[in-house]
Order: sequence, then C-alpha cells, then structure tokens
Amino acid sequence: MIGAVARKEIVSNLLSYKFFIVLLLMVLLVATSLFIMHRDFAERTADYQIIRPEPGQPIAVVPPNPLSIFAKGLENAMTRSFEIGVIGVDVRAGQSSGNVIYSFFPTPDFLYVVRIVLSLVALLFGFDQISREREQGTLKLMLSGPVSRAKVLAGKWLGNFASLAVPFLLVTLLGTAVLLFDTNIRFSAGQLGRFALLLVLSLLYLAFFLSLGMLVSALTRRSATSVIVLLFVWALLVFVLPNIGTLVARQFVAVPSVQALNEKREQTWTREVLLGIAKGADVGEHWKTISRENDRMEEDFRLKFERLVRLARNINRLSPAASFLDAATEIAGTGIDEESRLKAEVVRYKNSIIDRLIADQLAGKRDAVYPSFQYRTRPLGEVFAAGALFNTAWLAVFNILAFALAYAGFARADVR
Amino acid sequence: MWRTLVAKEMRAHLLSFRFLASFVILFVLVVGTAAVLTNDYLRKVDEYSGRQAELDRYLRAYAHFNRIGGIIMPAQPPVPFQTLVRGITADVNVEAFDDDPLPVMFPLIDLVFIVTILISLIALILTYDAVSGEKEDGTLKLMLANGVPRPNIILAKAAGAGLTLAGPLVVSLAAGMLVVLLHPRVNWAGMNWGALGLIVAAAVLYGMVFSLIGILVSSLHRSSASSIMTSLFVWTLLVLVVPNLSPYVASFLSPAPSRIKVARETARLTDTDRDDLGRKLMAQYRAEVLKQYPVLGERLTEAETKRRVAEDPLYRTAYEANRAAVERAWREANAIQGAKTEELRKDLRQKEEAQTDLARTISMVSPLANFSYLATDLSSTGTRNLVHFAELGGLWDAGFFRDYQPKKIEAFRAKNPTGDAWNTAIDMSDAPRFHYVEESLGGRVQAALPPFGVLLGYCVVLFAAAYVAFIRYDVR
Repeated sequence: MIGAVARKEIVSNLLSYKFFIVLLLMVLLVATSLFIMHRDFAERTADYQIIRPEPGQPIAVVPPNPLSIFAKGLENAMTRSFEIGVIGVDVRAGQSSGNVIYSFFPTPDFLYVVRIVLSLVALLFGFDQISREREQGTLKLMLSGPVSRAKVLAGKWLGNFASLAVPFLLVTLLGTAVLLFDTNIRFSAGQLGRFALLLVLSLLYLAFFLSLGMLVSALTRRSATSVIVLLFVWALLVFVLPNIGTLVARQFVAVPSVQALNEKREQTWTREVLLGIAKGADVGEHWKTISRENDRMEEDFRLKFERLVRLARNINRLSPAASFLDAATEIAGTGIDEESRLKAEVVRYKNSIIDRLIADQLAGKRDAVYPSFQYRTRPLGEVFAAGALFNTAWLAVFNILAFALAYAGFARADVR
Repeated sequence: MWRTLVAKEMRAHLLSFRFLASFVILFVLVVGTAAVLTNDYLRKVDEYSGRQAELDRYLRAYAHFNRIGGIIMPAQPPVPFQTLVRGITADVNVEAFDDDPLPVMFPLIDLVFIVTILISLIALILTYDAVSGEKEDGTLKLMLANGVPRPNIILAKAAGAGLTLAGPLVVSLAAGMLVVLLHPRVNWAGMNWGALGLIVAAAVLYGMVFSLIGILVSSLHRSSASSIMTSLFVWTLLVLVVPNLSPYVASFLSPAPSRIKVARETARLTDTDRDDLGRKLMAQYRAEVLKQYPVLGERLTEAETKRRVAEDPLYRTAYEANRAAVERAWREANAIQGAKTEELRKDLRQKEEAQTDLARTISMVSPLANFSYLATDLSSTGTRNLVHFAELGGLWDAGFFRDYQPKKIEAFRAKNPTGDAWNTAIDMSDAPRFHYVEESLGGRVQAALPPFGVLLGYCVVLFAAAYVAFIRYDVR
C-alpha cells in the first residue's frame, strides 16, 4: 500500500510544473557549482606547485584538498604557506586575490547549493502534500479506502523523497564522474568514502526539510498559508539562526581580534630586536623570547577561540543548517576543528626545529636541511568522535521529530 | 478611483496572515540584530581603544625608527554604522597566523542581509498571486466588468505592495534605531542620518523590484500554485546564485595572473636574475676599462693595490674608473630588473582591476548585489571606504615619515651625535597619530548612484513588462 501511494506521488511529481522547475534548478546549480569550484581547485593546485617547499626547507604547506571542490570551508586558510624563521611562524602567500567582490558573497560550492537552495527545493516538495490534496478533495477519497493515515503519510514521504533524491544523486554523481576525468585531481579511496558520507549527510539534511514541509502542510488548512510559513521558517533556520548564534556567542566569550594579535606580535618582535641590539650580545635569546611570547599568545587565543566556537556551535545546533555545515566541512577536512589542528601542528613543527634554526642562523649556516612538515587530515573516526557523529545524529533526530510531528498533525487533521 | 484601488490593495495586504507574519519576523529580527550588533560595536570600540593604549605604551618605551613602520600602521576604527551594517571590514584576515574563521563559515547577519533576503522574500510572498489569485477568486472579472481600466489595476497593485512593504520596514527600523541610539556611547552623527535615509529609500526600491517580479510572474501564470514556483525560481537565481557566481565567472572571462606566481617571478627578477645581469654587465664594463687602462691587468694583493693607489696617480684614475664601471653595472642591472618587476606588478594590478570591475558588473544583474554595494558604500563599510582609508593612510604616512621622522632624528643627533638614531628607543608618544574620519556624504552618495540607478531601471522595465503581461491576461 505504501508502495502504491509512493508510486502515485512519483508519477504526479513527474508530470508537474513544480518538478520541472526544481529539476532545472538542481541540474543548473550542481553542474555550475562543480564546474566553477573545479576551476578554482585547478588554480589553487597550480599555485601550490609554485610554493611547495624544496626538501629540507623549513616551510609548512599542505596541498589543496580535492574535497574542497564540494566543501570549500576554510581551505583558503589551510593552504597558506607557513614559513618557519628564527622568530617563529611567518605566514606567506595566502592564495588571496585582488578581486574584492569575492568577499561580498558566500562561496557557491556544492555544500552551499545543498544547504541553501536544495533545502528550499525540499520544502517545496513537501509544502502542499496534505493541504493541496485536501483542497482538491482527493485526500477524502484516498482515506475512504482501506489505507491508514500512517501509510498514506509514509508513502507520500517516500515518493517525494525518491523524486528529490534520485535526480539529486544522478546529477551529483554525473558531475563528480566528469571531475574524475581530470587527471590532476586524484581522489584517494578514503576521500571517495568521505564524499559518499557527504552525500548521505546531504540526503539526511534534505529529508529533514521534506518532513518539515509535510509537517507544516498537515498543520495548515491552505497551501498558500503553508508556503508562507515554510518560507519564513526556512529563512530562519538556514540564514538567521546559524549566523546570529555566532554573534550571540561573542557577547559571552571575549576573543581578541585578529588585528590586536597582529599588532601584539609586531610589538613583541620589534621590542626584542631593539633590546637585542641595545645589549649587544645574545640575539638568540631574544629570538627565543619572541617565539615563546607568540606561542603563549597563540595558545591563549586558541583556548578562548575554542570556547567561543563551542558555545557558538551549541547555540547554532538549533538550526540543522549549522549542524550540517559543521559536520560536512569536518568530514571533508576543511572545517574549523581541522584548521585549528593544522595550526597547532604548525606550531609544534616550529618548536621542533626552532632551536636548530636559531643555532644555524647564528653560525651563519645558510643551506641547513630540516625535517619536512607532514600533515595528515584527521582520520574519520576522530572526526566523528569530535562532533560530526553528534551532528549527524542530531540531524537524524530533527528528521524523526519532524516526521513524528507531521504524523501527529496528520492524524488529527480534519480531511473534509 | 485610483485611491480606492490602492486602498483596497493595502487593506487586503494588511488584513492578511502573510503581512502579519512578515511584520512580526521583520520587527523581531531588525530589533534583535540592532541590539546584538550595537553590543558588538561597543565591544569593538573598547577593543580599539585598548589597542591604542597598548600602542601608546609601546611608543613611549620601545619605539625605534628602524622598525616603526610595522608598528604604527593605520588601523580602521569601528564606525557607528556598524551597529546596522557589518560591511566588508577586515574580519577575515588570511595574512596573519591567527585568523578567526567563524565569519567565513557563518557570515553575520545585519541590515543588508535582512533587506536583501527577507524583504525580497516578503515582497514575493505578498505579490506572487496578485493577478492569478484574483483570477482564481473571481474578483478580477468583477472588477473589470465594472469598467476599471487595466492600467489602473496593475499600477494600484504595484503601489499597494510598495506601500505595504515600506510600512513594516520603516517601523522596524525606527525601533532598531531606538535601540542603537539608547546606547549613549554610540556616536551617531548627522551625516549618518542622511545615509540611513538613502539606504531605507533603496530598500523600499529593492522591495519594489521584487514586488514587480511577483506581479509580472503572477500575470504570466494561470494558477497561483505555479506562479509561486516561478517566482521562487527567479528569486533563487537573482538572490542566491548570480551574485555568488559572478566573481568566479569574471575570473574565467578576464583572468588575472596568480599573485603567488607574480610574487615568485618578481623575487627571481630582483634576486638571481639581477645578480646574473649585474655580473655580466660588470664583466663587460670592466673589460672596456681594462682596454683603456692595461695597467689594471696586473694581479696585485689588496695591500699592494692600496699602496699603488696612494703612490701612482695614473693607477689611481684607472682604479677609480674601474670602480665607477662596477657601480654603473649594478645600477643599470637594478634599473633594468626594477622596470621589469614594475611592469609585472602593473600588469597584475590592471588585470585584477579589470576582473573586479567585470565581476561587479556581472553581479549587478542581481538586485541583491546592487543593494549590497549601495548600502555598504553609503554606510562607509564597503569598497569605497577601503579606498578612502588607503588615501587617509597615505596622507598620514607622508606626515609621519616626511615631516616627523627627520625632525625627530635631527633632535636626537643634536643631543647625541655619535648615537645610532635608527636603532635606539626614542619616545614617540608625540608622533602624529592616524586619525580616521568617515568620507563626506557627497562622495558616498556618488558611489551609490550607479547601483541605485540599476534598481530604478529594474523597476521601470519590470513595471512595463507587468503592464504588457496584464493587458494580455485572460481573466476568465
């Protein structure tokens, strides 16, 4: 019976104007996004070939992550070149562009398309499921047959989910298959696995919005009302909550600004150089002081920042969009945790070679060879333990909750 | 007649559930964001003054001219408009080791967001069934049967939607401004009122664009169910897609060389290449000198050369000619390589500017981008302010390095003739400090005019299209 309802939904979707519009949007956006982000990745790879360190140079650079095509996240911050000198880490050559328009609008990566546009699409699949059939009178007919409301709802959900998920998966997999033809991008097996996880997560996220649409549709009498409520709920969940969460968190956790830290670093450096010159001897000690003080500042910043991120995340969890973004970027290896872990690794690398660097510099040794920097993205197990699992489960809870409420609403609905 | 029609439209909107929902959401969000952003602004002000105090302490104790450049770099103080508009202030900094990635992941919301996303959504929600809905209800037939001209109907619909939108926006914003102004420390200048007024006018115009899109789409469709689909499709493209794609498309159409590549190339030009060229030129010029003064061909130790220069006047001229040749070689090498690097840099700058302009032009297809540019420029938190800030920085730079620094060094040398004026701590607490003033309103308005014009043009074109579509509409 569920199958029959689902089939009916799929057929009616296939014939509808809505489905045509949605399909057009989906194909257009996913394809464009993959194409554009692929080019972006190719450019960053070319840049990496230029700045990649020779063996023995004390420079820490990680190559661009192919998964950043789908989830750009903090990739730009992570692929900077960290040069280790006698006074600590010097950040060079961010892959920045002089085109200031980039900073006006968010990056249109696959994650953006799913998180913002396809969530709206999923809502549009769900918004008139019950109210429209009631308006047309077909709901009455259906329920007068021997079929329970639970089965009708489940069938509708399945049918609509299939009509959403199948084109989505087809377009995405096709686009990704085209990417695989590019020999410059090599996905490892692990990365392909992570990509599959991203897809599963996206489907979970979209399923939530479908359930939400059905919930509101079951609670309202007219589909015109339902669409209005849903559009506002969507705007709140996708745009407002995640972003106001970080602002609110900042009210409670004071974090020094980037400019303040920058100025502080500069002041420490010039002060120690001055003192070193004034006293004459032992420049090495002053260099060590600079590195030490910077480390202390960095440590302090990181602790505060971690507290801020934790609070912001917990507030943001009210919105599935934030949980989704968090989990997806961490799985792709471009998330906030991954970035701060990389920076901690860079600091550790610096501390492992800085004494030798200073000694070599003082001895005037120019072509010393240092161990190279190694960085591996956290294994998936660690990513999940650090929060991605919780976020995924949280999304699932949102899903179940929305569906259960939709059922409760539908069970009490007056179908006349 | 005309007033009755507008009044009818407005009454229909005002009594509807969608209007109530829009108003409540708009009000709560505007007031909420204003409150949060005001706190954020005050925190930034405190932080800024803390940084300045830190700088003062440093200038008194450790300032030395050799490395002062990196210390007293001009810093942008928070501007009062940041209580409403976040703008593109340097929140994200990839040049420094410590970065704050939260805004990259979750861009903060502000008035620009509320207008661009919410107002446009509200406008569509109010108007997506303007014509098709009345057709479905059957009231359109009645109205036309009573001899109401079609142009009047469509004009009244547009005016009604615009006025209905303006009301909640102005009320919410007034409440938000109250929250901002209740903080005695927010220094809201008179000039900002003018800018705010223009931003509100632009916001209404922006809402009007989307109302007209809704009216146009609804008079192209027979049923409201399909008209909302098309409206949302258009909205998604204009608001969520076009602006985000524009810089990437521009980088595709008008490529600029990678900054990293140019940096490497200029480094090579001024380093190894310069050395090679210098050595080549040096060998060449020295060979010429040697031909002229064969006496230089003798191999002498350093001590012998010194003695010879002192004793033999002929050798001395030869020696000096040789030295001049070396200097000339290196000077020429530096000049040649310097010109080459300058050319590369200029090329990069030009191409980046061309790309930025193209990206901006493409993005201006989207009303959202127009409003973003206009609002950030008017509130001096946008690209225009970046230029203005750089100009102010240049002026201050001249004041410090051209006037203050030589005077201070002279004073130091007068007291301590043998001291190292560059690497000794000098009390610089009396140095001219960078003082930021917002650009005058005239300049800001000038920057806001083109996007304003585009929005206005959109309105005119869309209204004409809606008019034509409605004239051809089958009302049965």
